[in-house]
Amino acid sequence: MIETGTLLLMGLFAVLVIHSNLLRLSIIYLAIFSLLSSFLYLIYAAPELAIAEAVIGSGLVTLLYLAALKRNRVYTVAVVSDEHRDHLTDHYLNHVERSKALTEIRDFFVRREYEVQTVFVSETLEEALQDPAYDLVVAEDEEGFATYTDDESYVMLELELMFQMHGTDSALRFIRYSPEAVL
Amino acid sequence: MSDVSRDVAYGEESIILKTMVGLLYPFIMLFGFSVILNGHYTPGGGFQGGAVLASLFVARFVVYPVEDTDSERLHAVQRLFLALIVLAPAALLFTGVVARYEALRSTYLTLMDILIGVQVGLGLGVAVLRFAFFHGVGQTWHL
Repeated sequence: MIETGTLLLMGLFAVLVIHSNLLRLSIIYLAIFSLLSSFLYLIYAAPELAIAEAVIGSGLVTLLYLAALKRNRVYTVAVVSDEHRDHLTDHYLNHVERSKALTEIRDFFVRREYEVQTVFVSETLEEALQDPAYDLVVAEDEEGFATYTDDESYVMLELELMFQMHGTDSALRFIRYSPEAVL
Repeated sequence: MSDVSRDVAYGEESIILKTMVGLLYPFIMLFGFSVILNGHYTPGGGFQGGAVLASLFVARFVVYPVEDTDSERLHAVQRLFLALIVLAPAALLFTGVVARYEALRSTYLTLMDILIGVQVGLGLGVAVLRFAFFHGVGQTWHL
């Protein structure tokens, strides 16, 4: 009876691990799954395995996953251009991709071990600023590249501080905005 | 926009977490040592007890995630115990000392359990700490 119940619960949590939307929730479900399997080892008269499973499965592995999850976050840099909105030319793409500003931004993320991706969007600046999918909006104007950052984001604040402290080769300007104010 | 630095998974200043881990800490340690020392009579043994001891590092990290542990030194001690694990059977078991004296058997088992327990505890603990405090590819440490 207890055995069947534990097995059913394990199945339930195994499905929950796969189907939960939040990775952090998945990790917690995995820890519970591990604890249940440790209980099952105890029922099957393998207490040594139960101790090892409880400690390693729900203790050490959970922490490892949480530490790994803390690093895994993809930041999206959106590049907005008024004149090249409808016809992206290779020349323009190369120009932006190889620009010092974008290289410096990318270097910052790589140093911090965050994943970063650059997208060229066909939206206007206002639309891009309202889109929650973009962490950083870069627009080119006469003076160089202007960078729009969310004023509540700590990582973006660090990015700005780093450029203030170490200086920048490119004429990168930072403009802070709050998504609510744009709306 | 959610930030990595804003919603940290651990290391928040939680008084519940602090109190509970502080209460449990000595008991985890006692449990680990009892599992190691009674390994040849009761369930458990070197590896299981060592894993329990390794969870001490985790418990400490959860409450106080500051890198002030000298993992290089811990790793050196762990390697010393690894060498002893190889040397102890070579000196006691293969020379026939344990086979000759009946009374030595449980002592030998306890000795091996302690060696394995400390080795596994330090090894797993250092592995977890190194992973949690990983700074970058360029700063890998030397084995």
